[in-house]
This record gives sequence, C-alpha cells and structure tokens, in this order.
Amino acid sequence: MRQVPSGAALHARLIWRRNRGQIGLFVLLALLLALYAFLHPGLLSWAGIARFTQNWFPVALVAIAQTLVMLMGGIDLAIGAMVGLGTVLAATLVGESALGAGLGITATVAIGVAAGGLVGTIVALFGLPAIIVTLASSFLIGGAALLVMPRPGGSMPGWLSEGLVGVHPTALLILIVILVAWRVLRATPLGLSIDAAGDNPAGAFRSGVNVALARIAAYAISGGLAAFAGVYVAAQTGAGDPLIGNPLALQSITAAVLGGVGFLGGQGTIRGAVAGSLLLAVLVNVMFFLGLPPVAQYVMQGLIIVAAMGIKRLRERAA
Amino acid sequence: MSGTAPVLAAQGLVKRFFGNPVLNDVSIEIVPGRVHALLGENGAGKSTLVNLLSGVLAPDAGRLLVDRQPCARLTPALARRHGIAVVQQELSLAPHLSVVENVALGAVPTRHGLIDYGRLAVEVGRVLDRLGLDVALDQPVEELPLGKRQLVEIAKALYRQPRVLILDEPTSSLTAHEVQALFKVLAELRRQGTALVYISHRMNEVMHLCDWVTVLKDGTRTADRTMVGIDPPALVRLMVGREPGDLFPPFRSTARGELALEARGLTAPGIQGVDLVVRQGEVLGIGGLLGQGQEELLLALYGALDAQAERLATGGIDRPSRNPADAIGRGLAYVPADRKREAVLLPLSIRFNLTLPGLRRLARRGLRRFAQEAEVARELTTKLNVRGGGPERAVQLLSGGNQQKVALARWLPLSPNVLLLNDPTRGVDVDTKREIYLRLKGMAADGMAVILLSSDALELVHLCDRVLVFRDGRIAADLAHRQASEEAIVAASLGVARQEAA
Amino acid sequence: MSALLRHRVTLGWLVVVALWIAAGLLKPGFARIGHLRYLLELASITGIVAAGQTLVVIGGGIDLSVAAVITFSAIILPLLTFPFDPSGMAAVAMTLAITTAIGGLNGIGVVLLRVHPLILTLATATILQGALILIAGGSAVSTVNPAVTFLGNGDLFGLPMTIVTWLLIAAVTLFVLHGTVLGSWLFALGTNDRAARLAGVGAGQAILAVHAASGFCAGLAGLLLLGMNRQGYVGIGEPYLLGSIAAVVLGGTSILGGRGTYLGTIAGSILLVTITALITVVNASPGWRAILFGGLILGLLLISGRERSG
Repeated sequence: MRQVPSGAALHARLIWRRNRGQIGLFVLLALLLALYAFLHPGLLSWAGIARFTQNWFPVALVAIAQTLVMLMGGIDLAIGAMVGLGTVLAATLVGESALGAGLGITATVAIGVAAGGLVGTIVALFGLPAIIVTLASSFLIGGAALLVMPRPGGSMPGWLSEGLVGVHPTALLILIVILVAWRVLRATPLGLSIDAAGDNPAGAFRSGVNVALARIAAYAISGGLAAFAGVYVAAQTGAGDPLIGNPLALQSITAAVLGGVGFLGGQGTIRGAVAGSLLLAVLVNVMFFLGLPPVAQYVMQGLIIVAAMGIKRLRERAA
Repeated sequence: MSGTAPVLAAQGLVKRFFGNPVLNDVSIEIVPGRVHALLGENGAGKSTLVNLLSGVLAPDAGRLLVDRQPCARLTPALARRHGIAVVQQELSLAPHLSVVENVALGAVPTRHGLIDYGRLAVEVGRVLDRLGLDVALDQPVEELPLGKRQLVEIAKALYRQPRVLILDEPTSSLTAHEVQALFKVLAELRRQGTALVYISHRMNEVMHLCDWVTVLKDGTRTADRTMVGIDPPALVRLMVGREPGDLFPPFRSTARGELALEARGLTAPGIQGVDLVVRQGEVLGIGGLLGQGQEELLLALYGALDAQAERLATGGIDRPSRNPADAIGRGLAYVPADRKREAVLLPLSIRFNLTLPGLRRLARRGLRRFAQEAEVARELTTKLNVRGGGPERAVQLLSGGNQQKVALARWLPLSPNVLLLNDPTRGVDVDTKREIYLRLKGMAADGMAVILLSSDALELVHLCDRVLVFRDGRIAADLAHRQASEEAIVAASLGVARQEAA
Repeated sequence: MSALLRHRVTLGWLVVVALWIAAGLLKPGFARIGHLRYLLELASITGIVAAGQTLVVIGGGIDLSVAAVITFSAIILPLLTFPFDPSGMAAVAMTLAITTAIGGLNGIGVVLLRVHPLILTLATATILQGALILIAGGSAVSTVNPAVTFLGNGDLFGLPMTIVTWLLIAAVTLFVLHGTVLGSWLFALGTNDRAARLAGVGAGQAILAVHAASGFCAGLAGLLLLGMNRQGYVGIGEPYLLGSIAAVVLGGTSILGGRGTYLGTIAGSILLVTITALITVVNASPGWRAILFGGLILGLLLISGRERSG
C-alpha cells in the first residue's frame, strides 16, 4: 500500500515539480543578478530595488499575459495596443473622472478583461487562427485608444504615481500578489483546465474539460494584465499615450520565449515568464552599465532569442 | 443473462466522414453487470461507435438512449455526468501534468472552490493501488513508459466510478502481469454491476472475459449475441466475412542472394545496437508490443531520426541517411502508419499526392511537366485500382483503404530497392487488405526488399520470410518463417522466449 | 452565391470591383484614370512585399522581418555611392543582394535551429531595428541614385515603373507557385510539414528559398519607396508588415499555409490601398480609421469561413 501524502504535501510537491527544466534559467538569472549587483551596488537598497522593479514591472506583466496565450497554442499581437488602451483609460478614468482611483483602475482592468475575452471567444468559438485575430484586434484596440485620446494627455493623481512608482518597492509587492493569485487560480478546476487545455486540447476535451472556456479565460486574464500594465505605465509617465505600448508586444514575446515557452527545456509557466522578463531587464541594465548605447539592447534581444533557441535545439539533439 | 435494463443504448446509428459511411444502422445495448465484447477488424467502425457512445462525435442519424431516455445531444461532459467513461486507444493524457492531475482531470474534487488535494491524494491513490500501479502521484505523465501511461488512462476512467466503462484495446502495451491485475479489477466491477464494453484483438482475452458480443464489419453489425456457444474461429469469420486463411496469399519466398540493406549497431532515440540484414526479394517482418522501438527503427533507416551506426549500407553508400529526401535518393521508400498525419496530404488532390515523391524526377530543371504528371497519376490509379473519383479530387474524399493505396502507389514510379511499411493495413477494409498483401508480395517478387512492421501477428506469420521481434528497443528474437507462429511472436514480445529456450 | 463568397480569391476581387464602382459613383474624382493609377502605384509596394510573404505563408511560415528589411534597404542604399557607379545600378544590386542574404539568414535559422519562423523573424526585425539606429543615427537620408529615382518615379511605355516592377514580380511569383517543383513543395509543406518531409520534399531548400525571396521582395519595395519619397528614414517600412500579412489573408491565402495563390494577394493589396484611400476620403480620425480597418479584416475572415485554430 502506498503512503498517502497530505493535501498540503501533495500540493507542495506538485508546485515544486513545475520547476522542472527551469533550473538552468533560474541559475543563469541568479548569476546575472549577482553581476548586476556587483556592477551597481546601489541595487541593494530599498530605493535601488524600487527603481529596478519599476522598469521591469510592465514587461513582467505583459510577459505573463503573452505566456498565457502562448500556452494555449496562440500568440497575442494585440498586447502592445492593449497596454496603450490601458494608459489612456487610466489617464481618463482615474485622473480625470469622478470614479476615483479604485473604481477607475477596476474599470480599466475590467475593460481589458472584456476585450481579451472577446478576442478569446472569436479564436475559440470560430476557430480562426490567433495570429490573424489578434492582428486585427490590435487595430481595433489601438483605434479605440486613439478615440479615447488622439494624442498623449490626461493625468494621473500625484499620490497614486508616488505610491506606485516612488521610492517604495510597490511594484515588487504587486508582482508577488499576482504570482500568489495565479497560484490560487492554478489550484482551482479552471486553472487546471487552462494548463490541461494548453497541454493536450483534444485529450482535455475528451476528459470533459470545457476547452473553449479555458481558452477564453486565458485570453481574458491576459487582457486584464495588459490593461493593468497600462495603468502602471500611465502612473510612471503621469499621462496616457495611445502608442506607448507598441514596443511591449515584442518584449512580451521575447520574455515568454526566454521563460520557457521553449528556453532551456520545460513547458511555459507563469514563474518562467516572470523569470524571462527579469532576465531581459537585468541584461538591459548590465549593458547600460557596461557603457553600451541604449539601442544595442534591440540587437541583444534578437540575439538572445536566437541563442536561446539554438541552445534548446542542441539540448534536444544531445538528449 | 440478467434481465436488467440497458444503461446505455444506441438505435440505428449512422455516421459518415466526408461522405464515406463508416457506421451504417448500428444498434447496441449496454447492460449493467455484463462484459460486452465489441469486435471487428481495424476500420470496421469500432472507434467511431465508441466516440458516438461517449459524445465525442455526433451521429448523422439514429439516437442514443441513456437509462431508456433519448439523449438529444451527447457531449463528453454530459456523458461523464451520465457515468460513461472511456479508455481510449489514443491517449488523452496531458503529458506535462502529473499523474494525480491527469487521473482527476475534468472531475476534480473541490472545497471552497479550490482543488481538494487531500481528497485527491486519497482517492487517486486508492485507484492506483487497485490497479497495482506503482508510480508517484506527482510524477509528470510524460516521464512514464507507455504501459504505465495506459494504466494511468485506465485509472482515470475508474476514478470517475463509472456506470459504463468502455475499454478500447486497453492491454495493447501492458505486460502479462499488468493484464492480470486489470482483469481482476474488471471482474470486480462486473460483480458490482458496472456495464463494461471491451474492445480487443486478442481472442483469448475476449473468450476469457466477455459475456456478450457485438461484431462490426465494414460499418454494419454482423452479430449481436451471447458468448455462450461460440468459438474464436466463428468470431473471426463474423469479423472478416470469410475463412481467416483466405485473407493471405499462400506463402512463397522470393528472397534472392544479394543484400539490399545491411545495418550493424544501429542506434537512435528508442533503439539500441540493432543489427539487421535484408535481401532483395525478401519480406522481413518487425513485431513486438506497441512502442518497443519498431517504428523508430523504420524512421532511423529512413533518415527521419538522428541515427548512428557502425555500418548502414544500402544503395551503394555506407552511412545513415541524413533526411528522408537523402534516403529516397538511395532507393528507400516509407509508408507511414498514421496515414492522415504522416502520409497523404488530405486537402490536396489525388494527382498531387501521387506525384509528390517523384516530382523532382518528373520535372525538368525544376519546372513541372503537367502532361507527364497527369499521365503518371492516371497510370497509378488504374494500376492500384484506386476508386473514388478523378485525379483532381481531394484525397480526403477517398475511403481509408483507397487513401492507403495512394500512400503506397506514390512510391511506385521511383521503383525503390527497400520498401519500409509501417502497419500498412491499419484501419483498412478487408478487400483492400487482400489487395495490399498481393501488391506487397508482387513487389518482393520483382526484387524489392520489404520491411513490414505490423501490429497484427497474423500478417507477420503469413507474409514474412523472417520476423524480428522487438523489446525495449532491441531485437528480442529473430524467427525464420517456419518458426514464426503467432504464439512464438507473442512469447518473444513478452520476453518469455529465452526462458523456454533455456 | 454562398459558394462564391466562400471562395476567398473571388471574394477579394469582387469586393475590389464593388468598392471601385461604388466609390466611382459616389466620389466623382475617384474613378479618374490618374487617381486609379495612383492607387495602383501605392498598391504595388504592398503587393511586392506581399509576394514574398505569400510564398513564405503558403509554405507554412510567416515573415515578420519585412518592415525592418524595407527600412534597412531604404537607409542603406543612399550610403552606397561609388565613383565607378554613376548609374546607381551597382548600389541597387548590392542592396538587393544584402536584403536577400538577410532573408536567407532567416531561412537558415528556421531550418537549422528549428525556431518557429514567427519568433525567428521577429528576432531578426529587432536586430535590424537596433542596427539601423546605430547606422543612420535616427535621421532621414536622401538619395540622388538615378536608378532608384527611375524605379520610383519613371515611366516605361506610359506605365509607372512601380507598376511595371509589380507586374514582373507578380508573373514570377505566380510561375514559381504553380509551375515549379518548389511551388508544389511549398503547398505540401504548408499543408502538412511532417507528411511532406516524409514524402521526400526538400524542406530545407524550400524554406531557405522563400525566406530569401521575401528578403529580396522587401528590399525591392524599400528601393521603390525610397525612389518615390527620395528619402529613407527609420520607420519607413513600418506600415508594410501588417499590410503585407493583411493582403495575403484578404486574398484568401490560409495564414496556416498550404492553401492560396498570389492572384488573391494582388486583389488583397489593391483592396487594402482602396480601403485606406476611402477611409481618408471620409475624413475619419486615425482612431476610426484603425477600427474600420481591423473590423474589415475580421469581418472578411468571419464571412469567408473558418480554419483550424492556430
């Protein structure tokens, strides 16, 4: 007879198992962080951590958003537009309406969830390829952002900007909250469905999992996270800008790829996405300290993807 | 038999794929406490019937009744709620998830909306113990060997405590020991009043286990009766529609002296240190339990897997093929088992499919010559008797048997030296089977070396000069034609041959 | 009728004709030969980029580096002025060779590293983007290259050179797709990559060839743009990434590969330019323009039927 583990023990072991294949990434990350801290000792203070996480935070959010969609076998080309929509909504609803900060942020995120859910519904129910649907949606969402605010403007309350992007590591806290929230979701039947539907959709369907619902949920969560990234960016810049999110689309894919939707083995996970985005952020900072021009980070990003894929291919051949 | 009412019944089911009927007016009654054998050849419509009974597919006509109540639209989720569970041949497991998550998927116990891991551990652990399956609850399924994965699949069905349990070839990759454990569980379920449907090619399992039998042949029901008073030959007659012996042409070896292919120490993912020789005109059989490296052998020879070898000589070159195109250049040809995914290009035309492998030779300096292509397509369709419309029709409109003929015929213009066949009669009707056997022997007679991988031991017995039985990626037995009985092949695949010989 | 609507190539052309007739009736200026000619000149840029894109997409891939390659071409050419090259032909040849090589590198990466083309070409685009800023420093560069000026502004027998170039590219593309072994291989690869490889399709050669072709087409489009504007700047190629993909899809080619023809892409390119022109005519704000544009793509997709989910 087997020894039956307690529920908590089983849950803990399941969570630990998900690190499989990502240890290499985590080690690399730790080494780079150490290098960065060595180059820039100022990192090791509240203010240093706060400043660093503020730069990293929006990328981490869109990396999670992209990973969720890529887990479902899709790709989201509308994430950048969604961040842009998030900033203009926040700069309008939070800064310049009667809603106030709480309701304004909630409304912005809700609109992101609804838009993401709509995109997911079209993909899941009409069987249209994600790449084309999200491409078309990027125009729709980007257009909506331009309607809200044709050019950068609006405002964010000073206390909110101070709270989110001041000298406190608020961003790090929010990120931890999001990771915990995902862990809780992953411990629900819906969360399990999302993972199973991404892993083997036909098998999950036969097991009675509502695969369409899981897909839609993944897109909706992704939309909400992107919109929230918009809120944060608006707090950073103090205004809304419909086009500010565009570079994030690419960074989200880079981070998701680095974080396991194919780096150093392993399947895509949310922690992988966070680690991937962190890797990207540290690299940019290290390059800056080594005196490389800012645009060199583009070249580096591209080379990293190619290198990551090359390593993966070599490991597959070796296995 | 017990006179209890059927839990699940189907009346006059009809199902067509792309206009080809695969099930025609089939009725069946599944009764509690009875093990119901569902028999039929590959392609007779068993899997389609199972998919209809479990809501994966919707019938084109006919109706389903659950507890005598008509059920308008059955979905997998609804079927589960009615207590219908299926163990599929094609695994439905999520490879990256753990054993425990896979077993409970779609039916996880919750508390306050969260997965109740405590109950999960107890309940799943109980089911695994019952099957004698010794794996860690948190182990990812992809790390398990095929046989254990099949048991996880069975555990997944048992976990739901089904009223109807449908098992589609559940023992195809289990060891004798695991089969025993499974049978004990099934007998227990029958006693408890579960309705069981059992699909298997293994006659002794069916004779041993089942009470009632429904036989399908080419999509229609040819028998629905008790197992009392029926013997295996009679069952086979019902499935095949003729004496089993008639299916195969009389054996005559056409092997010649010259080597067509020689491999020494061939190693690739899934196989290790395989030595084999095949002569011109010889038919070399490859057998064994599912997933013991047979398919990997063919793919390695064909350059579709990275392979190393001390020697791999064919077509006058001694090195592993770099890729399929390279292998084809050396005179190899491969007919995959999974016709739809690996052989024919379903939405494209018959002409396109028939000319694709030889396209480069048909063309002149890379430019296509349409007249010659049409000519080749016409010749091949006539020669292999491909039925189902003109050469411009899409291959997906053909029946399974005719698709298989296309998959085979497209190699003929290249006249290969070595033909690699991967289960060429899977899902093919009886008449096409006969045609394929004759064609295969004919090609061997013309001097082609044929390597025939088959999951049907009878094919190996009746068609092959020699049979290599695989186990754990190595050759477990090398049987000459007269030694190669069905029993000898099965014994070798289970690893008992050596003991008997000693 | 519904069968006709479901046939996407026909649908694309029908929409183009309908739009032109409707716009001609409602807007008198629209149907002037000069205006239509201007539309076709604009469409030829998209059409040429989309020619390479069509080849890649039918083979089951996608090229997200076209915009960066266009910009690269338009910025690199003005830097290539040599005393021995008064006609500018050598600079044109060199630029096209470089962009073709960039495409070829994409192909090599896809074949050797087995990276999904979507991710690899995205990486290429990022690298080029950085390299361009390093080379050009973000400012616009002008050109006096006579060959390029002729390509962008010249006439041949009364036809603008841009349209003549497009016709040439279109003829070659259609011939490659439907008359060569390479074309058949692309359809086979796009339909079912594994089955095609097992049938002996030279997947590596085919993928390499189409990516190189896409690099060539994007480079050529960059030269035409440079000739028309007489100026190259970072971002000049931007609109043509989504434009080329939209033209391919609107023209009825499956984004998942294996099905389609360049004839449809031609209609898609004209349709795209026409829609953009009409949206400009109705004087909509940029926001509404984008929404109309995205809505039209989505609407046409929903009408013309479902595909396997990707």
